[in-house]
Amino acid sequence: MTSTSTLSRDEQVKALQKKDARRRRIPLLPALIFTIVVTQTPFVFSLYFGFLKWRGNTTAPREWIGFKNYTDAFQNMFFREAAWVSILMTVSAVLLSVIFGTLIALLLDRKFFGQGFVRTLIITPFLVMPVVAGLVWKNQMFSFNFGVINWVLNQVGIESREWVSEFPLWTIVIVLVWQWTPFMMLIMLAGLQGQSSSVLEAAKVDGASASATFFQITLPHLRPYLELGVLLGSIYLIQVYDHIFTITGGGPGSTNIPFFVNQRSFGAAFAYGSASAYSILVVIAAILIANFGLRVLSGLLEGEEA
Amino acid sequence: MAEVKYEAASRIYPGTTLAAVNKLDLDIADGELLVLVGPSGSGKSTALRMLAGLEFVDQGSIYINGKDVTLSPPQDRDIAMVFQNYALYPQMSVASNMAFALKQQGIPKAERMERVKEAAKILDLEPYLDRKPKNLSGGQRQRVAMGRAIVREPQVFLMDEPLSNLDAKLRVQTRTELVDLQARLGVTTVYVTHDQVEAMTMGHRVAVLDHGVLQQVDTPRRLYSHPANLFVAGFIGSPAMNLIEVDRQGDQLIVGAKPIPLPDDVASDLRASDSKRFVVGVRPEHLALAEDGSPSTVVVVEELGSDAFVHVEMPHEGGSTMVVVRVDGETSIERGHTLNFDVNGPVHIFDAKSGVRLGSDPSM
Repeated sequence: MTSTSTLSRDEQVKALQKKDARRRRIPLLPALIFTIVVTQTPFVFSLYFGFLKWRGNTTAPREWIGFKNYTDAFQNMFFREAAWVSILMTVSAVLLSVIFGTLIALLLDRKFFGQGFVRTLIITPFLVMPVVAGLVWKNQMFSFNFGVINWVLNQVGIESREWVSEFPLWTIVIVLVWQWTPFMMLIMLAGLQGQSSSVLEAAKVDGASASATFFQITLPHLRPYLELGVLLGSIYLIQVYDHIFTITGGGPGSTNIPFFVNQRSFGAAFAYGSASAYSILVVIAAILIANFGLRVLSGLLEGEEA
Repeated sequence: MAEVKYEAASRIYPGTTLAAVNKLDLDIADGELLVLVGPSGSGKSTALRMLAGLEFVDQGSIYINGKDVTLSPPQDRDIAMVFQNYALYPQMSVASNMAFALKQQGIPKAERMERVKEAAKILDLEPYLDRKPKNLSGGQRQRVAMGRAIVREPQVFLMDEPLSNLDAKLRVQTRTELVDLQARLGVTTVYVTHDQVEAMTMGHRVAVLDHGVLQQVDTPRRLYSHPANLFVAGFIGSPAMNLIEVDRQGDQLIVGAKPIPLPDDVASDLRASDSKRFVVGVRPEHLALAEDGSPSTVVVVEELGSDAFVHVEMPHEGGSTMVVVRVDGETSIERGHTLNFDVNGPVHIFDAKSGVRLGSDPSM
């Protein structure tokens, strides 16, 4: 075979490979474009609105004011408080649900009668709608008059308390932990079941106690799963809105940034410009918190070397 | 340094009635390398795991160095185990993997590192001490698993098919190294394998198991020359022993044209037996070309260079059987030839029904 082409053999092969790659990717393009349009357009608009002075309840025209909304945000005492609540709420809910999730996963990672049934029961909180979860906890658990918690405390002689108004932030955290523990449990269970049983047997033969096996072998093995749990948990929990709305309605000390953003815009103040700027800050904060969480976790587990 | 003793030890898995290991009696001497061999499902791994304490002993007892360890957890047995998939701790470096057991014993770090270095030197692992297992080749991982066992200086080494994940060439090489290492350290070792070649080449003695029952324990040579029953006869040796099933003709067994010459003890056992069918076992090297042998048709010839294995259809009383004959590699034989073969070495006679060997007990 003689080739009339002036291209070398190598170049011909490369051109063919390129063509082949293009042929395979082109059909994916519409989906990619659609995804970009749908997911990124609102973000780009928010970004744009964040630079505007725009009050929905006046007829004043929109006005480009640069970073003023952002600098104002940090001056705003209410925003700073909401940011602090966001951090507290997210960090504590994520950490607690990861810890409880891991503990429950350890219990479920062994064979016992009714295992499937118990596992399903434990997952149910995650399947409950956030609004429903909030209402159930508020009216059945925390309620001053009819709440289960107060009833139990009364039985042992402790007086009833107004849980929601006394501890607005922590009641919300409790409900969040209740809902998110099953999710973390699922991730950790997947991690535990991915651990080779012979590694655990080797540890036994090597004379490791149960706690040494857990801290030196199982926990390092779970690290990527913990990271995943923390990452997903942070991303979702920084956006919590429904629980706050139903339980405290944003009562003192329980307004996080998303709730605050809503109050500033559609809720009451119609300050679309600054609300947009705040929501951009939430995105940045989510990234920062997730990163920080991962760092801390990696640091904790990195130190485990003989 | 220790001897190991299984005393009627049985393991019956929950939910089953058949014992995975059935009343195993086995004495392993100090410093011995004993190989447990058998096909899959024979209970060899279970027997090893019972000794390790990873498997419950339902009946009987196990002793290490005279001490009853039947109910002791693995931690208290002072044993080291090498697993088939090595079971290295994936998040730890090679050095930490090897030091792990010492760390659990509370040995100070300086001494730990010293012992790890020593073991690493023996196993040529020194350049890899800081690596993670995933950055090692299969052979290196195998050596780390060995290293993890030897730094412990345990009473007994347990090895569960440690070479089966290596490629063929490395397996043969590592086999030799392992035998040498075991001899140098002089630690009692129980080695499990499904590969009879590995068993024969490595073991001081070999214990053959089938369906949870110990068939025979003996030196590799005795196992080969005096298999105690039909199972051992068929399992040990490659290619396998030719087993020809025939009906007795009075007090004779006829394969081909002539009766098989039987030693006195076998002949007297045959006379005493009231069974009808027997199995004549002949190793491929104990058949040879002979002028007055029985004519057989060549079906396949496997050339190995030094030898050739000739598969022939050998007629006998009431049918014919495929048998393998080992001939010199220089002999030119082709498919379709008809040649005369005869027995020119020891034969093994087994009762077809019970599988028991006729003649004097090989363990005597």
